[in-house]
Amino acid sequence: MNEGPAGDQLSAEVVAAWAIARKDITIYYLKPNIIVAGLLFPLFMFLAFAAGKNVALGVLIPGLISVTILFSSSTIEPVSIPIERRTKTFERLLSAPVSLHAIVIGESLSGFMYSIGIALFPLILGLIVFDTAIPSPLMLIAGMLLTALCFSTMGTLFAAYPTESPGDIMSMLNLVRLPLIFVSGTFIPLDAMPPAGKIIALLSPLTYGNDLIQGAYGQPSFFHPLLDVLMLVLFFIIFQFIAYRLYKRFNE
Amino acid sequence: MHAIEVNNLSKRFGDILALDKVSFTVESGEVFGYLGPNGAGKTTTIRILTGITHPSGGSATIFGRDIVTETIRARRQMGIVYETSNVYDDLSAWQNMMFAGELYNVGKHDREARGKELLETFGLWERRATRVRGFSKGMKRRLTLAMGLINDPQLLFLDEPTSGLDVQSNLIIREVLHDLTARGVTVFLTTHNIEEANITCDRVAIINKGKIAAIDSPERLKKTIQSVQSVEVSFENGSTEALADLERLPMVSGAKKEGDKVRLYTDDPGSLLKEIMTYAEAHHNRVVSATTLGPTLEDVFIRLTGLERRVKGGGPGE
Repeated sequence: MNEGPAGDQLSAEVVAAWAIARKDITIYYLKPNIIVAGLLFPLFMFLAFAAGKNVALGVLIPGLISVTILFSSSTIEPVSIPIERRTKTFERLLSAPVSLHAIVIGESLSGFMYSIGIALFPLILGLIVFDTAIPSPLMLIAGMLLTALCFSTMGTLFAAYPTESPGDIMSMLNLVRLPLIFVSGTFIPLDAMPPAGKIIALLSPLTYGNDLIQGAYGQPSFFHPLLDVLMLVLFFIIFQFIAYRLYKRFNE
Repeated sequence: MHAIEVNNLSKRFGDILALDKVSFTVESGEVFGYLGPNGAGKTTTIRILTGITHPSGGSATIFGRDIVTETIRARRQMGIVYETSNVYDDLSAWQNMMFAGELYNVGKHDREARGKELLETFGLWERRATRVRGFSKGMKRRLTLAMGLINDPQLLFLDEPTSGLDVQSNLIIREVLHDLTARGVTVFLTTHNIEEANITCDRVAIINKGKIAAIDSPERLKKTIQSVQSVEVSFENGSTEALADLERLPMVSGAKKEGDKVRLYTDDPGSLLKEIMTYAEAHHNRVVSATTLGPTLEDVFIRLTGLERRVKGGGPGE
């Protein structure tokens, strides 16, 4: 597809991407496996961490928001796309007069919106129950949006693997997601990590997202907020590009 | 301008050559049948023509637009109905229609007007708000076809449109196909139902092992194997015993039981009819009906693809 999206085509791409996102919202948001993987899993992770920590629970709210976004944003597509491969409805998207970029963005958009909605729970919990202050709300919004964008695209990327079983993709995805929690400063501060851990942390998009969110809550930031934003945008572009290439390759 | 023009199209999957320099054209307004046994290359051809798969060699254009370099523009002019009824079970019929319209960038007003018209045509309007999960196979098939027409395509790819459907769905789909062709829509049809191709298609291509074995109108293809004729006969006291006896006649090249009838292949139907009457008299088994038949499109298909009939004593395809 060498036609660049311009004019009418750009509008068609936007309409199609939004339609794909709405379709996923209608069909998948209330599926039990989505709720378990996107909402309950990060909640129990948080409780497990909180139980072993001798700090005020409110301090852990930024980490809980980060982890909630990580899991909820990257859960929809690894479930929906294999199911749609099995029912051949994914073929409908692939043969539509839109680019693969529009399909990838549309798919990612539903995970993005889902995670923002879910992340409001710990955010409100922090405000109401723990009275946690948010000195930099704009930084929080940027952190949440960019982290959600990054990981929803990562979920779509993993879902490119040509299988009809969501379990196959979830297994691969968890091999990446679970270690990310430990190397990204969500519950273990970057300062407290060994040198090797700090180097690995640089490769994790969650590090930058969590850094922004923690900074928004007035907790110490490891990087300059602009660097966090830049790195998250960079990761998003890389994920989008790889996802595009993988869908192109696996659909041959 | 041809609706479809395919030149030396090849597709290789590793060591397997799925398509071997296939060439054909489909004219505007034509109903073109694409027949072949499983694994012959039908699906690969459709996937290339709809821009999902890239060819390894050769070219294909849709109304003059190259399917590789102008994929999106080419797709705007086509509707695609896959063999599987790929509808969203968790959406209603109406939501499915609207989603298909949005994918093809059909404006809201046109989308809703056309969606209503198509659901009425396919007998689904009353069930528009029902989730598709509860639909029968025939209803899902009709909805799939309706979704394929939401963008009012000039070219419709139809993959096994009536396979395994109930009579009502079959009738509706055939009627819609008739209306489409009357309006000048080009139809590219793949089917295992050779009789369907015979009565529906202006021309058919028979593909086998990745190569086109023949392209022509059904009647002209039948004329190429005029030597394959048959006599269909029904006996008053059953046909099983008669089949065993008659297939041994020297002028019978193949025989098979078809319901309460026996079909005997021969190149000399006159002599065979005489022998059948002699047999009936000798065995006190009156002939209820006897019909001499010319070659069918299925006979042509079997001959060209090298398939064998499941009959005793071999058939005309052997």
